[in-house]
Amino acid sequence: MSFTTELMTGAVLGGTPILYAALGESVSERAGVINLGTEGSMLVGALAGYAVTAESGNPWIGLAGAALGGALLSSIHGFFVLWRKTNQLATGLVVLFLALGLTSLFGVNYVQSTINSFQSIDVPLLSNIPFFGEVFFQQTAPVYVSYALVPLLSLFLFRTRPGLYVRAAGERAQVLTTYGRPVRLVQMLAVVGGGALAGIGGGVLSTAYTNAWFENMVQGRGFVAVAVAVFAARSPYKVMAGAYLFGAAFALSPLLQVRGVGINQFALDALPYVLVIVVLTVIGRRGTSPAPEGLQAVFEGGASQ
Amino acid sequence: MTTTTTEPTDPTATEPPAAPVTETETVPNPNAERAKRIGIGVGRTLLAVIGTILVFGIVIAIKGADPIDTYTALFNSIFHNPNAATDIALRATPLVLAGLAVAVPARAGLVNVGGEGQLLIGGIAGAGVALAVGDALPGGVTLALILVAGALGGALWAALSVVLRLFAGISESVTTLLLNYVALDLMLFLVFDPWKDPNASGQPTSRPIPESQQLPFLGSGRIHLGVLITVVVLVIVAFVLKRTAWGFTLRVVGGNAEAARRAGLRVGPLLISAMFVGGALAGLAGAIQLAGVEYKLRPLFLFGFGYVGFLASWLGRHQPWRVAAAAVLLSALVIGGDSLQIDSGLPAATVNVLMAILLLAVFGFTGRKAKA
Repeated sequence: MSFTTELMTGAVLGGTPILYAALGESVSERAGVINLGTEGSMLVGALAGYAVTAESGNPWIGLAGAALGGALLSSIHGFFVLWRKTNQLATGLVVLFLALGLTSLFGVNYVQSTINSFQSIDVPLLSNIPFFGEVFFQQTAPVYVSYALVPLLSLFLFRTRPGLYVRAAGERAQVLTTYGRPVRLVQMLAVVGGGALAGIGGGVLSTAYTNAWFENMVQGRGFVAVAVAVFAARSPYKVMAGAYLFGAAFALSPLLQVRGVGINQFALDALPYVLVIVVLTVIGRRGTSPAPEGLQAVFEGGASQ
Repeated sequence: MTTTTTEPTDPTATEPPAAPVTETETVPNPNAERAKRIGIGVGRTLLAVIGTILVFGIVIAIKGADPIDTYTALFNSIFHNPNAATDIALRATPLVLAGLAVAVPARAGLVNVGGEGQLLIGGIAGAGVALAVGDALPGGVTLALILVAGALGGALWAALSVVLRLFAGISESVTTLLLNYVALDLMLFLVFDPWKDPNASGQPTSRPIPESQQLPFLGSGRIHLGVLITVVVLVIVAFVLKRTAWGFTLRVVGGNAEAARRAGLRVGPLLISAMFVGGALAGLAGAIQLAGVEYKLRPLFLFGFGYVGFLASWLGRHQPWRVAAAAVLLSALVIGGDSLQIDSGLPAATVNVLMAILLLAVFGFTGRKAKA
């Protein structure tokens, strides 16, 4: 495999957990709720996915467990933010701490266990296409599911009535109220659905990428997913591109190390985070990617509680 | 916003809607009203604490540990342990500063989630000065330089996020968060490569700073000069925020940036100055931890302190003295949490569950509800 092919394959593989989480965060943010607990939902999803797979022997049941775990954790965020009116950023971080503690408490039993993880499947015909086929069609099943999820989520958000409600809850909550729709319930469903997707992202990480569970294994990918959702303007196709960009940045370091390139490993590890700041700056200068109105209040009203 | 302190009226706070007079005839006695409010506040806090104890007890019971034994061990490790006071003071020192590093920018409406990185940059800058100066200067002079470099490093690192906000409109809550990982990788690079101590066994560390550059101990215990410095800084920050024009204008900007701009305040430089000061406090904490406790950098240097500091600031509602009190409380919890590992065989991170439940209870069920 050429270097580019290997890098791009790694980008799709490593970018998929971020993709799921960033899609979830996009739904939540479209409804006007930012969830820094996405990092926590991924963590709970990673453990739940791994543990359920270990117990059931089936990684698909594992992913269902991951979705449930992520949804449950984000429902805590949703309850406090929407019903108790707590600050979104602070609550998200508290929820992350809760996840760190809970996964470390209940994860110890699974550190040593092995699972029947997702294996890569070559899609007939498509996988034979040079470069393109190798990159996109010699992957694991959850990666293929994500290819379908992106257009479906885009359709949901922009072409269906419930999707319209979600966007209205973030942009013009009064209008939704005027039409007699329960704003908070819509927002709660968006947060919980987003958390389920983040949980799946974590589950994909532990059952199709690392194939292991260890404490704090998400290592900032949830925060990166939040940043991706922001710079991709919460639109699913752009989120996909952003997630793969990050996947590539994460994949670069081990690839270069294997090849014995003399660049310091930690300089490369910092690359994804520097990259996202540069991308945000460039996009920000061009004045695109406005946040939903309901979110701007969160970003700007830090001191008021 | 506080309900119980005797602060001058905050001009930026939206006044609560005039309380519907329920006890119609009687003219409410202001003192009785206040006592009642405090009573309700204390009562709710007590309920939050009791609720926390119950919920956390259930969690650890599910895990198969005995809640009563666990709480007994937790209590004993805080109150029946001769070292506990020192341990808590040493742990609270960087945490108080990390909390203030969030509270000062929060006055201006800025969200600083980058304490973690700013602490590290403070430690890195301090260690860099120590390694660069070596024996060229008297130890005391170098020590002062270490602290100044730490504060300056943290300040510049933090200010970068506000510059990006003003320049490109990116929320500082996102950039401060991402810069944490950049700072961490920078420190790992230094610890594993150019600054690595060839004599360190096991976990890699940077070369230790010489004894002449370490913060002296006060008396015979482990309490070092940095603890005192932190108390002085706390007093100064509380004074500056409450009694100076700068502290006042920060609150004006935080209350309504547009109104502040129309009133002729230069909002941009004010925002940068707020984050600069916040970053300086976190950077100072990193340098103090380096020169007072650790003497060298290691991969887990001040790990998690930035985030706990963020929570301390919210728990204290960005009021300096309350933030400090919250930092001490959270430190005590973490110190107690070490006993969970030793006595009950639970993982050390279990204390995060206790902390999170307590914070949710306090955020969600005490104090005045925000008008979203």
